[in-house]
Amino acid sequence: MKRRSAAEIALSLGVLALGAGVAAGTAMLPSEGGYAGIGPNFVPGVVAACLLFTGAWLAFEAFSGGWRNAPPDDARERGEHPFDFAAFGWVTVGLFAHMALIRLGGFVVAGTVLFACIARGFGSRRIARDVAIGVLLSLGVFLFFVKLLNVGLPAGWLGPLFGTAGL
Amino acid sequence: MEALQALLAGFGVALQPINLLWGFVGVTLGTLVGVLPGVGPALTVAMLLPLTVKLDPTGALIMFAGIYYGAMFGGSTTTILLNTPGESASIATALEGNRMAKAGRAGPALATSAIGSFVAGTIATLLLTLLAPLVVDLALKFGPAEYFSLMVFAFITVSAVLGSSTVRGLASLFLGLCLGLIGIDSQTGQARFAFGVPELLDGVDVVVLAVGLFAVGEALYVAAYQSRLSAKLERMSGSILMSREDWKRSWPAWLRATAIGFPFGTIPAGGSEIPTFLSYATEKKLSRHPEQFGTGAIEGVAGPEAANNAAATGVLVPLLTLGIPTSATAAILLGAFQNYGLQPGPLLFQSQTELVWGLIASLYVGNVILLILNLPLIGIWVKVLTIPRDLLYAGILVFATLGAYSLHQSWVDLLTLYVFGLLGFAMRRWDIPVGPAVIGLILGPLAETQFRRALSISQGDASVFFTQPISATFLAITAALVVLPWVVRRVRR
Repeated sequence: MKRRSAAEIALSLGVLALGAGVAAGTAMLPSEGGYAGIGPNFVPGVVAACLLFTGAWLAFEAFSGGWRNAPPDDARERGEHPFDFAAFGWVTVGLFAHMALIRLGGFVVAGTVLFACIARGFGSRRIARDVAIGVLLSLGVFLFFVKLLNVGLPAGWLGPLFGTAGL
Repeated sequence: MEALQALLAGFGVALQPINLLWGFVGVTLGTLVGVLPGVGPALTVAMLLPLTVKLDPTGALIMFAGIYYGAMFGGSTTTILLNTPGESASIATALEGNRMAKAGRAGPALATSAIGSFVAGTIATLLLTLLAPLVVDLALKFGPAEYFSLMVFAFITVSAVLGSSTVRGLASLFLGLCLGLIGIDSQTGQARFAFGVPELLDGVDVVVLAVGLFAVGEALYVAAYQSRLSAKLERMSGSILMSREDWKRSWPAWLRATAIGFPFGTIPAGGSEIPTFLSYATEKKLSRHPEQFGTGAIEGVAGPEAANNAAATGVLVPLLTLGIPTSATAAILLGAFQNYGLQPGPLLFQSQTELVWGLIASLYVGNVILLILNLPLIGIWVKVLTIPRDLLYAGILVFATLGAYSLHQSWVDLLTLYVFGLLGFAMRRWDIPVGPAVIGLILGPLAETQFRRALSISQGDASVFFTQPISATFLAITAALVVLPWVVRRVRR
């Protein structure tokens, strides 16, 4: 039962790296602590040590036969299909487009683009339908939050339009 | 007697028309969102949190109690009809519930789950009412050292003792604790790990973490590995009514499950997973029709569902009386309290009597609303299940990003959300539990505060944690939980 997974090794090293990073950041924090005798750097130090410890433990498991009780690497054994790059990519693109558009284009524009991209990622080919539903949904949410809850959301490019419509 | 008076006053609060309305809205929204496949109770609560920003604390928390119960019930509807347990607590229900639906008995399965949830929820709320004042009396004797040791106990049980791997549970916990370090140190005002980013000075918001892990992570995972698969929705056909035999087989299961679920909810044992399976196993053993298990035995639905709801109520005991969340959902509820500057715990029972007892009273009311709302509306919830998956996930992400963005109106929170989404993807793929991370984030800073307070009082003498009897007991139990399983394994070998 020799099994080595690059992903498990990478994740274990990631935990170790995080621990090292926290340790480095801790070193820059002041240590004076008043009556308690410990300062704001004490608990970060403990957390860093714990992360290094679990990272080492995970790495040990990864190198000695793989993580214990881990799900099978073959997607079919998990009853799933192999990793779908396009689908994963569309979801990612949608979220980053939303991030870029929300201030500039406004909540409704960003929300619609996000909606259409995610739907595309999940296999939809009906762009017109997705955009239409995206507009209706984000417009509904926008008006609900802005008019009823008084929570400010950016109007963006559609701002003048809302103005003339008296919304 | 005092508790009874307080509870009556609480009903006075909960039954005010406006609060009744919030309870109603909460249950409806909670069920509606909870029914959506892939949306568990924790995500439901996290996604609906932004809706309450403008409400007064009492109304908001009453609405949240409704959302909490509604989400639990909505989740079981999905499990029974779709066989995609959104969370571990629903797996036991899926075993029999989905088989009943396949055999054309979806109606009785949903009915026993709804009525069982009502019975278990009401009894559990009654137990909460009786138990809470006792725990509060005890907790008033706790100092910082006791609280810290209790939190250590909670950390270890939710991460190391439960789940398929101790080390992965711990990794998740320490990750959460690490995220909890970000922001301004509450004792000295020192900024830690904020890297000069103003959005990080407030710390990582529990809503962003929960929504990132549960919604974005889930969307990435399902897109990558399941988007080309199709799930089969069972039809809701036939009568929803339970036969005399169904009743006869259900009610003992409800009561036994309540007895199993409530105690498990009150201790930090990771919420509903263990009690639902225990209840399933108990019913299988005691059933006069053990041969039906695996083909759709109604006890197998009645028990786990009731256990789930009883445990969900039990979780509120440590949350309200001690301020300690023992499940991811409870951690998010604690975040909701903190948004209003309220810290649950014994002092809240004294300073905000009306709010706390109004909340407890609204749990009774919420259970009734759930029952009268859900049985007639089951047809609508089933319709919700037929939303195509591409539109469903697109919609979920619109709401998920809204919750994160509305915090500071900043794209930085959206980027954080995506990073947590990647994390959630990896944790789902390599079976790293997410609950400990969410609990660690919210409980970590509280534990640090208590730790440093305890040391301040003792002038830096760390032995207080071991010399105070209550604190020492918690630490001893924690050590035993870690060491004993290991020793047992060694001896058996």
